[in-house]
Amino acid sequence: MGMAIAHAQASGMGGMRTAGDLVARVQLAKGLRIREAKQYVADRLHISVIDLVDPVIMSEVRAELGLGIMMPLGKTPKGVECKFNIERLLGFEMNCLKTFKVNAGLA
Amino acid sequence: MSKNYTRMGDGSPVELTDAELRKDLEDGANDAADRGKVPSLTEEDYKYLMELFQRKDRFVGVDVGNEVVLTYDEGTLKLKRHALLEDRLQALTIYERLFGADTIELCHVDYSYKPVKPIVGYEQGSLEMALLMTHAPLLYGAMPNLGLYTQPDGPCPNPMELLPQGKIKEARESYEAIIKDSVKDIVFASAAMHESGADGINFDTVGASGDPDFLASLLAMEQLTTKYPGMAIEMGMAGEFVLGTHGDLYYDGTRLAGLYPHGQVVLAEKAGATIFGPVVNTNTDRSIPWNLARTVVFVRACSKAAKIPVHANMGMGVGAVPVWDYPPVDVLSRASKALVELCDLDGL
Amino acid sequence: MSDIYEQAKLSVINHDKAKAMDLAKKHLDSGAEPMDIITNGFVPGISYMGEEFGRGTVFLPELMESADVMLTVVEVVNEAIAKLGGGKTAGPVGSIVAATVQGDVHDIGKGIAVAMFKANGYEVYDLGRDVPVEDLINTAEKRGAKVIATSALLTTTMVEQQKLEKTLKEANLRNKYITLVGGAPVTQRWAKRIGADIYAENAHLGVVLVAEKLKEFANKVAS
Repeated sequence: MGMAIAHAQASGMGGMRTAGDLVARVQLAKGLRIREAKQYVADRLHISVIDLVDPVIMSEVRAELGLGIMMPLGKTPKGVECKFNIERLLGFEMNCLKTFKVNAGLA
Repeated sequence: MSKNYTRMGDGSPVELTDAELRKDLEDGANDAADRGKVPSLTEEDYKYLMELFQRKDRFVGVDVGNEVVLTYDEGTLKLKRHALLEDRLQALTIYERLFGADTIELCHVDYSYKPVKPIVGYEQGSLEMALLMTHAPLLYGAMPNLGLYTQPDGPCPNPMELLPQGKIKEARESYEAIIKDSVKDIVFASAAMHESGADGINFDTVGASGDPDFLASLLAMEQLTTKYPGMAIEMGMAGEFVLGTHGDLYYDGTRLAGLYPHGQVVLAEKAGATIFGPVVNTNTDRSIPWNLARTVVFVRACSKAAKIPVHANMGMGVGAVPVWDYPPVDVLSRASKALVELCDLDGL
Repeated sequence: MSDIYEQAKLSVINHDKAKAMDLAKKHLDSGAEPMDIITNGFVPGISYMGEEFGRGTVFLPELMESADVMLTVVEVVNEAIAKLGGGKTAGPVGSIVAATVQGDVHDIGKGIAVAMFKANGYEVYDLGRDVPVEDLINTAEKRGAKVIATSALLTTTMVEQQKLEKTLKEANLRNKYITLVGGAPVTQRWAKRIGADIYAENAHLGVVLVAEKLKEFANKVAS
């Protein structure tokens, strides 16, 4: 597993520790290149692009907006609950919620 | 004279003088430029790479602000290989919560679209469960793996047995039948996982069986994105150029055999790819500086030609990573940093 | 003379069998040393094709067609030598048993290597894919092959190459054969570790290294 960990440390955005998962969602949904994808997320979160990879700033932002945090204790949004918040925040329909909404009687 | 500690493509340690280091960088870069008919490295690039290999740091990383998105292949398989007692859903959470993965990937142990077909219902169930408990974008991945369509593992005569016998027409006909069968399976499994909520589909090691494999993937992608506009598909390649095992296959008027990454990405875009993953093979007889300079030349040309995000493949034996199961971080981190920063990459 | 060699080279590159046959006949009719056109014309042609295949500018069917031209002209030259009453013929230069190891179904690399060896005048016994070590050894023994070549594409199957070395040693057959290993996860380091004689990065290099090793092998036997 050295490969995945080493790349994450050397070059990765940081996933849920930061805004890596959010930028990845924008790349996948909109096919944007990295600069545009980062700018899109920063604009939606009202933070600067450099803050997207800061685990201190992003932990607070994620906790406040219910986007999912690394150590989710009681009464904090988790999993699919966070995805609803992420979808609303990013402003586009996420494929991962389509089936859920149908199954849960939300669509 | 002080020497620079680095490694060969098989991971063996080696020490190079500054002159040897510079020569390896130039030779590697020029080899790629010559093969791909693309620009070689600039003096500024050589300065960057010389400094990178002269540094004594055990581990290096990109400058703050240059971080990129990581996508993975064989996501849930890699923990399994280490004999960890976990299931696939646990593996996904380990990637997400411990490894800092920007995306996660669910896959079946056979990691090929054909064997997923009869168990697709089980795979959908697992995917839907995983989507409830994870946060990062979840891809479903597998390989086209055209070898599974040839006898004795499949219905078609084996072109790799026909070709050495000089039966070129028969081999080509067999490949054409294989393409049809594999497109059906890739589309079937990918559509099912998309409808279950996958955030993306990963076509991995595309072109492993040569141009028929690449064509099957392009055609499957075209069908899927026509049926599901906006569907996200990542196309990760198997080799630096498309091997012409058929030799006479075309997509959108372009001959597939012999295409290097900067040509491959253009066709991937036309077929509907969301992310493209170029591959440059590591030569184990050469040093990592030689391999890295060579990789930068190919991948930079690909990144320049692309409109969609480019996530270069940097696993065992590709992207200047040594052919070793758990590559040493000294060369791995150098390759990771250089590729991202010199090639203007969007991800790995 | 160099013009006919150049044309011979081009006939292989352009996989023009009629032209190659015509040139071979002209050469033989001229009374020149029969083997010269093979060594100086046709062999450089197939070597060029092998190198270009490795660069992605030549494709497998074209390589196979060139190999077919090569095999045909070698046959013509050999027949002429036999009629002249012996002398050095063009082949086979050696015999090889080749396979993808047991548990592995990836046979593209092996197929390319088989074609390249055949085109260079080797007699090749291609056992296909997913082949047990015992079958490789039995075939080599039965056919009197000098080389056992194996390909493995997976880290999980490359151990079969190690098993081949071990089985040959246990049967006191190790010194009788030259072993060649190849495949994506296979390296020189691995070859050295398991005791294989040759590691080849690609099929073209495999042909070159086997030729060198066979020469070494013959010299050792002669001395």
